[in-house]
Amino acid sequence: MTSLLEEIERSFAEVSGVDQMKNYVERALAGNIPPLDIIQSMRDGLSTAGRKYERGEYFLSELIMSGIMAQELSEMLKPHLQSHKNQFLAKVAIGTVRGDLHDIGKNLVSTMLSSAGFEIQDLGVDVPPEKFVEVVKNESPRVVAMSCLLTIAMDEMKNTVDQLEQSGFRREVKVLVGGRPITSDFAKQIGADGYGADAIEAAEAAKNVLTK
Amino acid sequence: MNKKDRVMTTLDHAEPDLVPITEMSIDAVHVERIAQTKFTGEGSLQTQVSADRRAEAHMVAATTLAYEKLNFELIPVELSAPDGWNPGKNPDGTTTDEWGRIFSYDARCKAWVPTSSVFTTPEDYERFPFPDPHASGRTYAIEQTKKRIGEEMALGGWIKDPFAIAWEMFKVTDFVRWLYEKPDFIRQVIERITDFNIAIIGRIVDAKADIILSSGDYAEKKGPFVPVKFFKEVVFPSLRRQVEVAHRAGLKFIKHTDGNLNPILDDLANIVDGVHSLDPTASMDMGDVKCRYGDKLVLIGNVSVDNLCTKTKEEIVQETKNCLRVAAPGGGYILSSSNSWYTDAKLENCLAMVDAGRKYGRYPIDICN
Repeated sequence: MTSLLEEIERSFAEVSGVDQMKNYVERALAGNIPPLDIIQSMRDGLSTAGRKYERGEYFLSELIMSGIMAQELSEMLKPHLQSHKNQFLAKVAIGTVRGDLHDIGKNLVSTMLSSAGFEIQDLGVDVPPEKFVEVVKNESPRVVAMSCLLTIAMDEMKNTVDQLEQSGFRREVKVLVGGRPITSDFAKQIGADGYGADAIEAAEAAKNVLTK
Repeated sequence: MNKKDRVMTTLDHAEPDLVPITEMSIDAVHVERIAQTKFTGEGSLQTQVSADRRAEAHMVAATTLAYEKLNFELIPVELSAPDGWNPGKNPDGTTTDEWGRIFSYDARCKAWVPTSSVFTTPEDYERFPFPDPHASGRTYAIEQTKKRIGEEMALGGWIKDPFAIAWEMFKVTDFVRWLYEKPDFIRQVIERITDFNIAIIGRIVDAKADIILSSGDYAEKKGPFVPVKFFKEVVFPSLRRQVEVAHRAGLKFIKHTDGNLNPILDDLANIVDGVHSLDPTASMDMGDVKCRYGDKLVLIGNVSVDNLCTKTKEEIVQETKNCLRVAAPGGGYILSSSNSWYTDAKLENCLAMVDAGRKYGRYPIDICN
C-alpha cells in the first residue's frame, strides 16, 4: 500500500505523465487505499515539482503538465470523495482581472493552490470587479486571488478591492494578487492581504493570509 | 550615414555615427498620437486578422509616418493575410486566424489577442487546411512600406517562430500534453511550419526587406517554456534552417523573445545574428550579455517595458543611459524597449527614451553617471 502511494507521489514529482499516474491510482483504489491519502500523495508530489521549478530544474511545461495530471486525478477521485466535505483548507475564488485575457499564470496558481489543499473556484479571464463581489456574496470563498499580465489591467485589482470594500464584503475575504507586473509594494498600496511572485509563492501566501 | 546604413553597420558589429533606435511594435493609440492620424482598421501583434487592403494600407501609412516622425532607423513590418482571405468570424464575436488560433478583441489596445484555439485533438490538426505560403498578397504590407521608405530606413520583415505558432495554435495546455504523449506529432507540426517559414522568408527577400525578424517567445520570467533538451533537439534545428535561408539571401536574422534566456543563450548566439527584448525584469543583465555574447550577437532592447508604464521620465533617461553605456561601445546595439510601446506605456516616457538615445547615443560613446 505504502509503495503505491509513493509511486503516485513520484509520478507527480517526476511529472511522468497521465497514463502512468492513472495506472497507479487505479491500483490504489482497487486496493482500497483511502482517496484522501491518494490526494495527499499528489499534493506532496506537486509540491516537489513546484520546488524543482523554483530552483530552475524544471521548466514551465513541466509545471503545466503536473497541473494536467492533477486535474485528471481529481476527475478520477470525484466519485470516491462524496463523503469527504472537509477535505479542503478553504475555498479560493481566482480570476484574471478585467481587461486581461491571459490565463497561464492564473492556471498555474490554481494548480499550486489545489496542491496546497485549497478548493478552487475559477472565474476565468477578463473578470470584472462586480463578478468578484458577486462570488464573494454568493459563494463565500475565504480568499479572492487576482492575476494579471498586462500593466494596463493593474488598476482593476484596486477597483476590485475598492468594490469589495464598498459592498461591505472586504472583511469577509482575504485578497491575494500576482502576475508579471505586480510587486509586493503594489499589493500593499491597493490594500491586498498577500502577494505571490509566482505560483509557488502564491500558494504559500494563501496559507499565510488565512492565519492573519 | 543614413538610417539604414546605421542599422547595417550595427549589424556588422561596427560603430556607426549614432546608436540606431527602433521599436518592434507600437500600439495603435501611440501611433495615432505620434502620426496625428486615426487608425481605421483593426490589427493584431500576433497574426493577420483581415485582408482588407484599404484598411491595411492606411495602417501601414500611419505606422510608417510614426516611425518617420520618431526618426527610427528600423521599421518592422508584419506579414499580410493572403489576397481575398477572410478570417473566421465566430458567433461569440471572436475571430479565427489562418493557424486556427481564436482571437478576442481588446478594445482598449485596439488589437486582437489570442485566447483559444479550434484544435482539441491532433486529428483536428490533420483536417485543418494548412496555410499556403505561396498565396498571393502575403508581403503586401512589406511592399507598401518599402515603396514609401526606399533605402532610407532599414526594413525588417516579421515571421513567427514555428515553436511559438504551435505553442499558441494548440493552446498551451494541449501543446504540453501532446509534447508528453505525442512528441512525434509536435515535432512534425514544428517541422511543417518551418517549411512554411522557409518559403515565406523567400517571399520577404523578394519584397526587398533588409532583415528577417522572428517573433514568438521562447521563455518566461524564470526560464525557457520547455526543457532545454527540446530546444536543442527540435526548436534550434528548426531555427537554424530558417536562419540559413536568410543568410543565403544575404539577410541578417534577429530573434525576438521575452523571458529569461540565460539557459539557451549559448545556443542562440551560435545560430542567430541578434536578439531582441533582453528584458531586465526576466534576469537579462545587459552588461553580462554584452560581455559574454557581444562579439556574436547584436543586442536590441533592455529598456524595461514595465518601467515605461510606471517610472518617471528622469528614471527612463537614466535607464537608457545605462543601456547605452554598457551595450553600445563597439557597435552591435540597437536601442529599444524590452518589448514594445504598448497601450499602457506613458508616451512621454517612450519619447524620453528616444531623446536620451539621440543625446547620449553618439559615437564614440562617452557617458558618465
